[in-house]
Amino acid sequence: MRTSINWLKEYTSFTETPEKLADMLTMAGVPVENIEYRGEGLEKVVAGQITDITVHPNADRLFVCRMDIGVMPIPIYVVTGATNLKVGNIVPVALPGAKLAGGLEIGIADFRGIKSYGMLCSADELGMDAKIVPPELRDGIYILPADTKPGDDALAVLGLDDVVLEFELTPNRADCFNTVGLAREVAALTGGTLKRPMRMLREEGREKATDLVSVTIEDPSLCPRFTGRVFQNVRIGPSPAWLQRRVQAAGMRPISNVVDVTNFVMMELGQPMHAYDYSLLAKGRIIVRRARPGERLTTLDGVKRQLTPDMLVIADAVQAVGLAGVMGGLATEVSASTHTVFLEAASFNGASIRRTSKALGLRSEASIRMERGLNTADIVRALDRAAELLAEMGACTVCPEVVDVYPGVQLPRQITTTAARINARLGVDLPTAKMTDILRRLGFDVETKAEKILVTVPTWRNDVGRFDDLSEEVARIWGYDNIPATTPVGSAKPGTQSYTQTIADRTKDILAGLGFSEIITFSFSHPSVYDKLNLPDDSGLRAAIPILNPITDDFPTMKTTLLGGVLQTVAGNLSRKNDDLRIYELGAVYLPKSLPLAELPAEPPVLCGALCGKRAELAWNQGREAVDFYDAKGAAEVLLEKLGIGGCEVRAGEYTAMHPGKTALFHKDGELLGAVGEAHPKVLDAFGIGRKVYLFEFDVTRLVKHAVLVGAYRSLPRFPAVARDLAVILPQTVTAAQAAAAITAAGGDLLAGVRLFDMYTGEQVPAGSKSLAFALTFQAPDRTLTDSEVDGYCRRIVARLEESFAAKLRE
Amino acid sequence: MEQQLRQLRQAAIAELPQAQSLDALGDLRVKYLGKKGSLTAILRGIGGLGPDERPRIGQLVNELRAEIEALIEKKADELKQASLAVKIAADTLDVTLPGRRPPLGHKHPLTLTLERIKSVFMRMGFDIVEGPEVETDYFNFEALNLPPDHPARDMQDTFYITPDILLRTHTSPVEARTMQSVAPNSPVRIISPGKVYRVDYDATHSPVFHQVEGLVIDKGISFADLKGTLNQFAKEIFGNDVKLRFRPSFFPFTEPSAEVDISCVMCAGKGCRTCKGTGWLEILGSGMTHPRVLEMSNFDPEQVSGFAFGMGVERIAMLVYGIDDLRLFYDNDLRFLAQF
Repeated sequence: MRTSINWLKEYTSFTETPEKLADMLTMAGVPVENIEYRGEGLEKVVAGQITDITVHPNADRLFVCRMDIGVMPIPIYVVTGATNLKVGNIVPVALPGAKLAGGLEIGIADFRGIKSYGMLCSADELGMDAKIVPPELRDGIYILPADTKPGDDALAVLGLDDVVLEFELTPNRADCFNTVGLAREVAALTGGTLKRPMRMLREEGREKATDLVSVTIEDPSLCPRFTGRVFQNVRIGPSPAWLQRRVQAAGMRPISNVVDVTNFVMMELGQPMHAYDYSLLAKGRIIVRRARPGERLTTLDGVKRQLTPDMLVIADAVQAVGLAGVMGGLATEVSASTHTVFLEAASFNGASIRRTSKALGLRSEASIRMERGLNTADIVRALDRAAELLAEMGACTVCPEVVDVYPGVQLPRQITTTAARINARLGVDLPTAKMTDILRRLGFDVETKAEKILVTVPTWRNDVGRFDDLSEEVARIWGYDNIPATTPVGSAKPGTQSYTQTIADRTKDILAGLGFSEIITFSFSHPSVYDKLNLPDDSGLRAAIPILNPITDDFPTMKTTLLGGVLQTVAGNLSRKNDDLRIYELGAVYLPKSLPLAELPAEPPVLCGALCGKRAELAWNQGREAVDFYDAKGAAEVLLEKLGIGGCEVRAGEYTAMHPGKTALFHKDGELLGAVGEAHPKVLDAFGIGRKVYLFEFDVTRLVKHAVLVGAYRSLPRFPAVARDLAVILPQTVTAAQAAAAITAAGGDLLAGVRLFDMYTGEQVPAGSKSLAFALTFQAPDRTLTDSEVDGYCRRIVARLEESFAAKLRE
Repeated sequence: MEQQLRQLRQAAIAELPQAQSLDALGDLRVKYLGKKGSLTAILRGIGGLGPDERPRIGQLVNELRAEIEALIEKKADELKQASLAVKIAADTLDVTLPGRRPPLGHKHPLTLTLERIKSVFMRMGFDIVEGPEVETDYFNFEALNLPPDHPARDMQDTFYITPDILLRTHTSPVEARTMQSVAPNSPVRIISPGKVYRVDYDATHSPVFHQVEGLVIDKGISFADLKGTLNQFAKEIFGNDVKLRFRPSFFPFTEPSAEVDISCVMCAGKGCRTCKGTGWLEILGSGMTHPRVLEMSNFDPEQVSGFAFGMGVERIAMLVYGIDDLRLFYDNDLRFLAQF
């Protein structure tokens, strides 16, 4: 919504600067988005009438215009190259000393021997946006409205001395989508009074409108009111200067008197209107109905549109002639030859208009207002205003009577409240009189009875329906800044969060300590990612939820795994030479229970990470070794340990995107917690990653289930431990875990620790064998162990290893 | 004999401090105190003294022994200190060589920001509650007083899965979910962080972003309480000097509604590029919970009132850290992540 300071001043007087006014309105919930100083920097441009045009004696393409600039009988001569001029035209003349758009300064110039005392200006030179300039005036010299007097300040004639306020209104404030509504807000804030436009309509037409037009509303739920007037002896022509400059201030282009008046009244009072050439309406019949299946309509913009039965049309006896509230039809458009006009002012169902304009991609100033709701009770006032203006400018004769079909009669709402209630909601202590004053200034009818405040809501305030709405009216005019800041009463206990949240937070802390950086990726994915992850065709992870209107072709579905995003992040970082990576994401995946989605999907949290590159940061005193599988596994082990998840069973297995021979599955109580593994070479290749990457993925829900955040303390040993190293040669097929398990089983209760500290294959051991070296710790809670006792345990362990695995003690 | 002792003492006092090394000092110890040393020799001669002389001389011998031992001790200490000083002087490091750094991990700046927001509100008694990201139209719109065809639905362009299931456009659906999970008119004090989605993707809009919703319901909650709560929040996050401005606005689920601006953190309100010269930065939307919203979740607006607010976590993180490009959050470039 745009309006201007000068326009607002027609309805209320104020002295605030545009900036101050904009700030006051913004802080009252009528936000001004932009202040535009029209004609900023322009100076000394007057209206001049061309009294003679001659070709320049020394230049074919130049013309010498004799200009009357209001100081007759002394004409001035101005040289121009423009070809759109005729004697009698009134045009803007930049006099010597004038300043124009872009900082251009005008002096007396000599054009091949003829002095030009100024310059005739185009719209562009006056800084006018082409959008508000009639197409025929976009190229040549701007021709001022015919009622302009030579010598008038051309900037004032064009409204280029005015300041336009551009509003970014919230959808509830339909009442502010017009200048009078905004003036009402200004008056309420400045303490001024609102002068609404006067009505002085003379109906001089021969026939009654009601005899010429009959209106039927087929679906009253979509059209609560339809009114119209008929104008005869219509003389289509350009509008007077005042009307053109208002229309331009509002950001529209002057078209003709009839169209400009309908636009003006829409911007002044908020009521969209549409003018039909009456002679083109079959049988003078108007039917408001739903479009018929397959029906088509060519709208004013020349586009042939396919209609559907949920769209509302205005039809005559034969066919649709307009798309109700959105755009008129081309066939019945008012033209230069129109003699009789039927002017429609109606109110349509906002939701229906919204659907139609959305479906057709057609939003207009009219549909924007229709969607938000009109002042249905006061439509005829707007219709009369348009009639009055057209009659006044001699554009027509107004026929008596108004066609008015009003099935959805709108009655003013009434609200009863008290100052105490409003004060309690706002946390203030305003007297009743202050509240009633604010409400009255906004046009509410207010009565007080003892404690009670009885409010009648004006019909232009469809957004105010209950006491809460009144509290907002009071608050925004009183000023939000004037409301104190207090602390809510009630519970003083600190807040809590879910155990899952706590585990998630803890996991992030632990991983930060382990050198992992957190990433956050979009929740979207693409089916091709599942191929890249080497998922089998029947994998459940391929059942991703499709989005009906994806943001780009890259993101048509919701993620079912974090692995794709993590690997993409690895690839992205490697391409930026971030070579050493330890990253993870902890977030939801979206798993449908069935497709298409009938109920909400599961959104289980998952932890997924990756490592690659060097183990330590590049430094003079650190090794250059690359991370390997055991870095990933070690991180996972520490994470589980710090979450209090002990006693996991780890075994080789297969997992999404991982190398089948280099994957460890972590189980707890028979339940799969997650996996650690080297990324599958095919997967790396698919993601364009040219180096080894190690992955891990854990089911956070299961981690939460098994986590013990506050474990019980174990007392420190009081007697010294005895340490023994044990190196054994075992067949390659025996895993470290199997060997350790055998040692633990044979070691007895006093074996307190088994730690593998070396593994060796090579020359020193037979082919097909390996040497494993374990550091064993023996400890008794109640005494110091003797060497011979410990030696006995060790012999038992060796015997078990020999027996189970044909192991040999390595000397 | 006394004479001998005096001479021995003088010799020791003169000689011992001259020792040049611990070895030399050891030799002197042997010389004076050893089995064949001078003092020992004198001690042996005590036997030839009379019974009345013996104890006195014996005492003198012992005193001298103690004195010599002390001298040796002192000298030994001196020599040790001197030798240590020489060793230390020769033993140096280039301390400007970089230290050996353990690998460091970094939480995402959005996580860090969210942790701070959560902490501020938890201390004010707010519980943390989460809701689904794939949400029903009912909870995302209808239960928040946004019936179908409401023009305010345009304010949030929505990703749809089916006509009734969508990606939540805000964290506000958790309001209705929370109210419907407790007994009607119970006190509620929650914040709800999480991902939200809108069909908007350019330099300043991400289709996925994070919000924190807040809801307080109790008897007698007022707009002034909303102001007080958000004041405290803003001061804890942006510092005590920050100023707040509440601007009337419109949200279908609150009445009255307010957008909250803070004084620009870049220019302290003087006007700069970040605040587009206004001196203010919009950080959140808020308002008194609309009575329709309470009613739809079986709360009685005659009995209780409440306020709600919603903020963008990215927005706050950008202001806190001075991040100028929204896309960095989802780009996951380690050079960015490692700064936090």
